[in-house]
Amino acid sequence: MSWHVPEQLAVAYVDGAVQGARAASVEAHILTCPDCRSRVSAEAPGDRLADIWSGVVDEVDAPRRSWGERVLGAIGLPETDARLVAAAPTLRLSWLSSLTAVMVFAAWASNSTDRGIPLFLILAPVVPVLAVAGAYGPRVDPTYEISVASPYPTLRLVLLRSATVVAASGVLAVVASAFVPNGRVAAAWLLPCLALVSLTLLLARWVALPVAAFAVAATYALPLLVALVDGREVSSALLSPAAQWTAAAVALAALTVMTADPHLRAAMRRN
Amino acid sequence: MTSAAVVNDVRRRYGRTQALDGASFEIGTGVTGLLGPNGAGKTTLLRILATVAAPDSGAVSVFGRDPAVARERVEIRRRLGYLPQDPGFQRGFSVFEFIDYVAILKEMTNRRERHDEVRRVIDAVDLASVSGKRVRALSGGMRRRTALAAALLRDPQFLVLDEPTAGLDPEQRLRFRDLVSRAGEGRAVLLSTHQTEDVAALCQDVVVLDKGRVLFHGAPAELTAVAADRVWVADERRGDAELVWRTGEGRFRHLGSPPNGADLVVPTLEDGYLMLVGRFDEEAAA
Repeated sequence: MSWHVPEQLAVAYVDGAVQGARAASVEAHILTCPDCRSRVSAEAPGDRLADIWSGVVDEVDAPRRSWGERVLGAIGLPETDARLVAAAPTLRLSWLSSLTAVMVFAAWASNSTDRGIPLFLILAPVVPVLAVAGAYGPRVDPTYEISVASPYPTLRLVLLRSATVVAASGVLAVVASAFVPNGRVAAAWLLPCLALVSLTLLLARWVALPVAAFAVAATYALPLLVALVDGREVSSALLSPAAQWTAAAVALAALTVMTADPHLRAAMRRN
Repeated sequence: MTSAAVVNDVRRRYGRTQALDGASFEIGTGVTGLLGPNGAGKTTLLRILATVAAPDSGAVSVFGRDPAVARERVEIRRRLGYLPQDPGFQRGFSVFEFIDYVAILKEMTNRRERHDEVRRVIDAVDLASVSGKRVRALSGGMRRRTALAAALLRDPQFLVLDEPTAGLDPEQRLRFRDLVSRAGEGRAVLLSTHQTEDVAALCQDVVVLDKGRVLFHGAPAELTAVAADRVWVADERRGDAELVWRTGEGRFRHLGSPPNGADLVVPTLEDGYLMLVGRFDEEAAA
């Protein structure tokens, strides 16, 4: 073997300054020449090798990203937040399946029975609220106690998870709306839904999130369901401009109070 | 003693149950054991010190910070490691994933540094061989060690451990003692347990809690001394002792008044604890 890697070339190769055919020639040579291999490796700083090795180890045994994390990452959520949000119990397949079943039933009922349309108007806004109920809390999140004792802001976790589960369950409700015979009915649940979710998040400042969600859902749905069972007219009241404006005002008021909270703003500014 | 945590006349009620009834004590660096029967208020006290629950009345401070103040509560949490009595695990998470999840909650945002720290604590509890396995598929002892590893993340200055040795076999308990005694060097560790052997082996300080009140606070040797000259071994059971049980050697160990023909023996920490808790029960009944 007449040619060996000159020292200057070895330094440049280790620094990454040698590209293309010259780099390939160095690599082919050091595979067969132990002297050059040891000289080139001696030029490589130890901490850099350790860093590369650490990176390899990290890639091999790092946790895989779930589909939920990948979706959340794609819409711009940082990797760390995405991991915490994707662990929301409501994003599990079992929860989403239950919510889908409710919406399928409501959409089917709106096409099949006289009371179907009011039933859809009652259930559709409640589904995202129920999803919020399962997003975070002492009885729904198995790591609740550990997360409360951690410095990560609980408020941020609640809001990020709530926004995600509302979006996921909202998609279900929108898809179900496509099968509702009346276009006005299909859209009429959106503002009440926004109002109920906003009220839930506002109430969650004082009580646990599931308690707030069930209280708000029950306060909205139970009187309407009783009226429906009694045979009273419900649809026209829910579809009326007054009901829609009321829902918009409630949502706006709740969101205004929440966003005025300096703790919430500080929590959401992290990262 | 520099106080790591101060509990002053803390009361907490759950419905009709008075879980804590004016508990007061201070702990410094080193390992402090919290002993007490079921329902004594140990878990409530640890949850309050871990900033998970708030007292109805009384004052608590950790490293001079007040957990009732939001900003100071976050400062406490940054220096805290907490192992709850019944730690839950996210469904489907592996050991690595669970600890990584807790590391994110502990504000470790740099991925590489976080994963290095996760590997460090997994090694510390000897779970490297199962780091890729689902937590729910592991034995109870391994799950306990997984939660303990999460508590050790970021080398906390105050470790709050609720029954950390529950479900561990004798070898694991020895390893745990080594781990905790090292963690107690220059830091504060408060652990609740039913195992007086753990307290005797590990703790420089012991607090005995019963019915929400602190019955004793001192060194383990002082707790043992509560039963000095009160522990007897006899061939037969005698009725006038406060507590009697048959030992593995077939003789009867008596706590309290000396039965005829009994041999006085050196008390253990457990004897001292049983004397103390038994006496408190009598006073409460009187």
